Amino acid sequence: MPTRRRTREPIAAALSDLPSGVSADVRVHRTSWTTIRFANGRIHQPHFERATHVSFRVAEDQRLGTATTVDASAEGIAAVRDAARALARVAPVERTFPGFPADGGQHGKAPPFSKATAELSPEEATRLAEKVLAAARDGAPGGRIAGVVIVGQQERRVVNSAGLDRTGVFSAAQSSVLVDRPERDPPPSGWSEGGHWDHRKLDFAELGREAAERVARSEPKSVEPGDYAVVLRGPAMSEALAFLANLGFSGHGEVEGWSCLHGSRGKEVAPEFVDLVDDPRSSASIPFAIDCEGAATHRFPLIDHGVAGDVGTDLVTAGRLGRTPTGHALPPEAPWGAYGPEPVRLVLGAGDASEDELVRTTRRGHLVTRFHYVRIVDPGRGIITGMTRDGTYRIENGEVAGPVRNLRFTESVLTLLKGITQLGKDRRIYPAERAVSAMTTPAAAVRSFKFTSSTLF
Amino acid sequence: MEDLVRAALAAAESTDIRYADVRVVSPQRALHLAVRNGRADALTDARTESLGVRVRTAGAWGFAGTTELTATAAREAARLAVRLARASDRSGPGPLAVTDDPPTKSGQYRTEVRRDPFEVPHEEIVEMLTRAEARLHVAADVKSGLASFQAWDDTKWFSSSEGASFTSRTVHVGAGINATAIRGSNVQRRSAPNSFGGDFHQAGYEYIEQLNLPEEAERVGREAISLLDAPACPTGTMTLVLGSNQLGLQVHESVGHAVELDRIYGSEAAYAGTSWISAAKIGALRYGSDGMNVVADATEPGGLGTFGWDDEGVPGQRVPIVERGTLVGVLSSRESAAELGLVRSGGTARADGADRLPLVRMTNVDLLPGDHSFEEVLEGVQDGVYLETNRSWSIDDKRLNFQFGTEIGRRIIAGELGEIVRNPIYAGMGPSFWSSMDAVGNRDTWHLWGLPNCGKGQPGQIVRVSHGAPIARFRNVSVRGG
Repeated sequence: MPTRRRTREPIAAALSDLPSGVSADVRVHRTSWTTIRFANGRIHQPHFERATHVSFRVAEDQRLGTATTVDASAEGIAAVRDAARALARVAPVERTFPGFPADGGQHGKAPPFSKATAELSPEEATRLAEKVLAAARDGAPGGRIAGVVIVGQQERRVVNSAGLDRTGVFSAAQSSVLVDRPERDPPPSGWSEGGHWDHRKLDFAELGREAAERVARSEPKSVEPGDYAVVLRGPAMSEALAFLANLGFSGHGEVEGWSCLHGSRGKEVAPEFVDLVDDPRSSASIPFAIDCEGAATHRFPLIDHGVAGDVGTDLVTAGRLGRTPTGHALPPEAPWGAYGPEPVRLVLGAGDASEDELVRTTRRGHLVTRFHYVRIVDPGRGIITGMTRDGTYRIENGEVAGPVRNLRFTESVLTLLKGITQLGKDRRIYPAERAVSAMTTPAAAVRSFKFTSSTLF
Repeated sequence: MEDLVRAALAAAESTDIRYADVRVVSPQRALHLAVRNGRADALTDARTESLGVRVRTAGAWGFAGTTELTATAAREAARLAVRLARASDRSGPGPLAVTDDPPTKSGQYRTEVRRDPFEVPHEEIVEMLTRAEARLHVAADVKSGLASFQAWDDTKWFSSSEGASFTSRTVHVGAGINATAIRGSNVQRRSAPNSFGGDFHQAGYEYIEQLNLPEEAERVGREAISLLDAPACPTGTMTLVLGSNQLGLQVHESVGHAVELDRIYGSEAAYAGTSWISAAKIGALRYGSDGMNVVADATEPGGLGTFGWDDEGVPGQRVPIVERGTLVGVLSSRESAAELGLVRSGGTARADGADRLPLVRMTNVDLLPGDHSFEEVLEGVQDGVYLETNRSWSIDDKRLNFQFGTEIGRRIIAGELGEIVRNPIYAGMGPSFWSSMDAVGNRDTWHLWGLPNCGKGQPGQIVRVSHGAPIARFRNVSVRGG
């Protein structure tokens, strides 16, 4: 049953029972996802999950409390309201909280959504995984194949005591695939991934073929760490952009002062041809209509012709910064506490170069497919560290000269941004699991990238 | 609840279904109270529940989970699990094997709690956090203070088609404080008793009371300020002494994950990664120096990885992992243990809630103490650094090349702790690093650290684990100031 119909009366009753001076918002997330994992050439972890979560946030004398339940019945929602009130009564005062808005902004046209993807059966999802497996197997006979197909939907309804009542839904399909040769030492590997809001527009077999084609025929060679020019393929760029979103464009980072772009807004932080936008309604992303506070999503420039824009905010951070909320509220139950709000649908403008052209103009350096285990080293300077993984290649004389053993990088996202020399023309959508975030990006050539050590494979 | 479990098991019955189990976690509570800069950072009370059905055909698993605890939803989950298993059975190269662990018929496990954290008045906890957070602000440069408390209470019901059945109630608690001092782009953080939200234990609120966070706060704030003006950590190859909390994370990343048997067999190859260890080397591989002794102990009092039975119904147990520097054991599930040729599982299949598949996870993976006092460990250092409390962590997908940053470092000169240094980073390769360990602290330097955020799997799962670690000394380590 659709969330709106199922939860209308219990939520209305819970809100109408609030005493004078107490306001609230209610967020209902209803999800269904099928996750088909495969490894060693077989489907080993097929998983289906259907869940409902109701989050009730109360503002009482400028004190906020939130409680969450999976029980969407009248009793369940009333109980969670009372639990939220109990917390709000003991909360420190949030003096700058602007209150819950009656109007979540211009709603506009509903963004694209695929009912077929949202309601794909487990058997059909399994067949998509089999397509990836078969294509990878054909492309790299004898290779070890592992990966995942994820399809499903998330429906979000936000209601508040000021009268706002909005629902948004998104669909997503995504897949990633690894082909490697564990019998060789060190083992060469190839990787591919992509996503779309409509599974019919994602070529699953092509992902399998691409990963298989990228497995090098020769063994990866050792190279010395140091500063190198790099071509970062889409998966690597998407990871860098995700960290930039957090380190540079989170309202939380701006409130606290640790944002690496604090003091740089309105200033040039990238070459003039770099345009980065948060575009949650774009068909070039995994579109969704409302944020977790019911605000209508909209196109939000982050880097405009190389110049840094503003941070994403929600009600609380906007209040603390004395600004208007930008519609970037994330779910309140983030397991590590406050890390949002931040933009989660980044779209980097494409250039006009093919991957071969990016390699050709780079002349000497490395082609990097993806990163692994990236973590923040120094937020104020935007420094992150991580490993390359599943396809790192030497570029010599403008050509891919062969695979290299993986390298650790320790570099600032700001240096990366400033050092972009060229952007690829082909973009792909790279969703995080279940599209909690999604980066749409081409490959990029970067002038200098610091590798600080190497590993054995 | 028994009726619900029976309904799901019955719905999974079919001639082609060789095995089925049902897990219910209900109620599942998570309380998170945090105060940042005098305001509420998170005041959330989550009351959830979930049910999961796992089935196995001759050649494949199937799993379905739901947050709706009705007989109708339970039967629907069972049918979906069966459909997934049948659809997946076509892809496999052959039959699945699992160990023949004897089923526990009617087990019960409960955390011993002296003061139930969910019965403690919220006012009392928030007042303590507010007091602690306020004391972090020892100077204007402390731009952010945070004091947080978390508690989880999971009641679990397990039943399988083999006749296994148990219930358990586990309670985990934890709390911590941190101060972030900022001057321009110089951002320095100091935490206590550990980063990642503090320290965590399987216990009641009595554990939080003995942390004495308000009493620790001023020191933490002062250290954050001191770090702003501290010199950068020296760069070079030098002797490193790791504090217990950082060594706990080192064990987690470069031992715990590396000995997960599903990684070793490639089940996580595309996501979490594999391992530098091959199954053939178990029993012979040199992991580190003779002072290195590691166990995975799911029976350890107070550990976040302590339980009666894992999520396949296998009893919690103490598994030797490294003895005198040699790899002797691994973490395993019924399927991965069978692949290795073991008769019994190691009992470390764990799931984050009932709506997730059990995976091979850590329990309490401990580096056992040696016989050196704190002073004796330092005595052997002419010129080195002492580092504690993790700030950044990263390791490659075979768990070899690592790089860790810590919040704070101190010079060690002629066996004495000296000035504070900032932005320390150390890096290395697992086997050579562990082989360079030449002094291991004694029981007085050892502490069982709770780590609440170990991620793995698709869909993502977070499980809570613990690591006991002393201090230890490592020679010829690459260290630099960031």
